[in-house]
Amino acid sequence: MRIVFCGVGALGSTAVVLCRNLDATLCLVDFDRVESKNVLAQAFVKQSIGKNKAEALKLQLQNFYGVKAEAFGVKLTQENVEALCGAADLLVDCFDNMASRKLLSDFAIKAGKALVHGAVSGDGTFGVVRWDERFTPDAEDVEGQATCEGGEHLPLIGVMGAAIARCIQDFIKAGVRRDVMVSLNAVTPTAG
Amino acid sequence: MATLNITINGMSADYPLEVDYALSDADVRRIAVEVVRSGDVAGLRLPHLGDGAFDHYVVDRFRGPQGGERIYLRPKVPFGA
Repeated sequence: MRIVFCGVGALGSTAVVLCRNLDATLCLVDFDRVESKNVLAQAFVKQSIGKNKAEALKLQLQNFYGVKAEAFGVKLTQENVEALCGAADLLVDCFDNMASRKLLSDFAIKAGKALVHGAVSGDGTFGVVRWDERFTPDAEDVEGQATCEGGEHLPLIGVMGAAIARCIQDFIKAGVRRDVMVSLNAVTPTAG
Repeated sequence: MATLNITINGMSADYPLEVDYALSDADVRRIAVEVVRSGDVAGLRLPHLGDGAFDHYVVDRFRGPQGGERIYLRPKVPFGA
């Protein structure tokens, strides 16, 4: 089983850590670097600041948990999506922009890959985990809208990371494609 | 019969929609403003909610497990990483 996490920022890194129990190869794709503000909301530690996020998470998984992972410190593009995602049994979208989500979704449909999306609102009060067949990427209300880089939204990110991990584990163990909606007062199954 | 689920300020709740016609997205947003203002949705009473409070919200429509329509009015979710 090969699981490719696309985007390992707030949601992706949290979900990956909660998938460390799986008998699967965890593959991490992210071109970005860890900044000091990221340690407030993402699963990175101080020693990872300055490193590529995919590489940093791979090292943390190895050093803290003895879990092996593969890291690809590149931006997902039309040119490399097949190479990065072609061997995946499951794709996990935790990107922070509509264009990358759409690129991944288009590839998943074309290649017949299972794809689950995790996405949160800009104010950090709401999120969805939804399988590709029921997901439409949302655009930002305003271009350059603030994202979940600081620690303000950490509690919701934690719940979302757990919800994503649970949906992944249900899929792997039982083939169930469960959708959930996460708000501050509930984690609600919506399909599957 | 449909169920409208409204999420605002991080709170989420269901409201039964007893209408026998197809609702447009604009209908859903208008109804949501009214029922949240009036306090008809448990836990979501906001008396001073503006008319355009849900203008940028997304309307999702699904079939529930028992076959009824479930309509979700929710904030956009552009972010992840």
